[in-house]
Amino acid sequence: MSDISVVLRDASVVFTGRTDLVGRIRNTILRRPAASNTQEYTINALSNVNLSITRGERVGLIGLNGAGKSTLLKVMARIYPTTSGSAQTSGHVCPMFEFATGFEMNQSGWDNIKIRALLLGLKPREIKDKMQEIAEFSELGEFLNYPVRTYSAGMFIRLAFSVSTAINPEVLLLDEVMGAGDINFAHKAQERMKKFMTQGKILVFSSHSPDLVSDFCERTIWLEKGKIRMDGKTDQVLKAYSENYSASV
Amino acid sequence: MISQNSFIPGALKSLLEWRVWLYLGLQDVKARFRRSAIGPLWILINLAMMVLGAGVVYGVLLKQPMAEFLPYLTCGLIVWGFLVSSFVEGGYAFVGSEGYIKQFSFPKQIYLFRVLVSLFVVMLVGVVALAGTLLFFDRFNPMGWLYALPGVGILLIAGLGHITLSAYLSARFRDLPHALTGIFQVLFFVTPIMFPVTMLKDRGLDFVYKYNPLYYLVDVIRFPILEGTFAVKQDYMFCAAYLSLLWLVCLVLASKMDKKVVYML
Repeated sequence: MSDISVVLRDASVVFTGRTDLVGRIRNTILRRPAASNTQEYTINALSNVNLSITRGERVGLIGLNGAGKSTLLKVMARIYPTTSGSAQTSGHVCPMFEFATGFEMNQSGWDNIKIRALLLGLKPREIKDKMQEIAEFSELGEFLNYPVRTYSAGMFIRLAFSVSTAINPEVLLLDEVMGAGDINFAHKAQERMKKFMTQGKILVFSSHSPDLVSDFCERTIWLEKGKIRMDGKTDQVLKAYSENYSASV
Repeated sequence: MISQNSFIPGALKSLLEWRVWLYLGLQDVKARFRRSAIGPLWILINLAMMVLGAGVVYGVLLKQPMAEFLPYLTCGLIVWGFLVSSFVEGGYAFVGSEGYIKQFSFPKQIYLFRVLVSLFVVMLVGVVALAGTLLFFDRFNPMGWLYALPGVGILLIAGLGHITLSAYLSARFRDLPHALTGIFQVLFFVTPIMFPVTMLKDRGLDFVYKYNPLYYLVDVIRFPILEGTFAVKQDYMFCAAYLSLLWLVCLVLASKMDKKVVYML
């Protein structure tokens, strides 16, 4: 039984794709020179990332948009396989990513709670026990009886957040979800998150808020263009990060 | 370290998570009829319309006795519907579950089983119509249903193979489900569903069904139910050969594509 950990060795993720296949075929047939916007593209979302996170660590991920924060979290969650190098996550993973997707729009809030809970690895019996607590925390009340296509963006977040935090995760991975919902809920959510983190398991979360990162994490990783620019104590990394970007303005 | 082949471990792990895919599959069926007044009854109504409309016209055209032809047609249509869906709806197994695949750490093979569950449930509803038709013509034979069970097993294994094949390929080639819809419309007319096999034999057109695996998959269920005994041995052998080939292709393809699928969604 390996202990709870996240280890990446030379992990890289390269997205490849083509823009507009039909246009390319048409150009070939008509013998037109291919326009530059119908080419193959490759994006190095992560390049040779090495890191190791062990039990009890809380790690913040910072970086500009497109720096690779979400990709890195998805690699840790075993959702994205690495295209080269290796990634190993030991322990039960609880990912909390894009809360806007992964709902059955025509089904009720209750059904969606059950589906999400199952996908997070809860047993049906545990779900039954926790259903009421999840519903109460979400404060969605009678909306739970309605199909979720009637929900507002904030209500989706409440529902998903309530389910995800009701489980007992070993490795909690969060992508920009703190401060979700309205002021009331954001406050409650933070209280709940704090409870999580005292459980002595792994937390990795990405954020654009230096305050949140320094509140929660003693270690911070700064990503830039898919590479680790800096990995160390939160105050040092945040200081370097803000100096770097204020200098360039 | 990540093992080289992630398909087989993923599939085995998914199999153990039967609660998840069983629930998702059943929810899919429920969701499909959620806002309709009579819900799954539509499966029966559509089947009945097809059987009565096409059955009576073709029965007369082909000079078939109704008591034999209508149960034959009903049974054929039900199995055929399952086969077509296994290819066409299988194509949406990954594409339609994108939101889940990108959010949860579950092996994505559970979404293959999920489709199988909902297709099987739809087929079971059709079976009610079949039982009704057989009772109406006083041809209901409980033993025949028992003899059909191996055929149902074969159909499920084949269906899962079709779903797997179609799901992986369609993640890469989004045109595939559309193309398959058209292809199966053609295949429908060259597979003995709307006409009895003997008509082909009499006219020296044996090859139309002899090299058609879909015919054998239909026959190992239809023959026992209608005749009350096992289908001929060659049918089962042909099915076994088809299943082996199908799953060989599935394993090669899925193992090769498994790690790339998430990047194609």
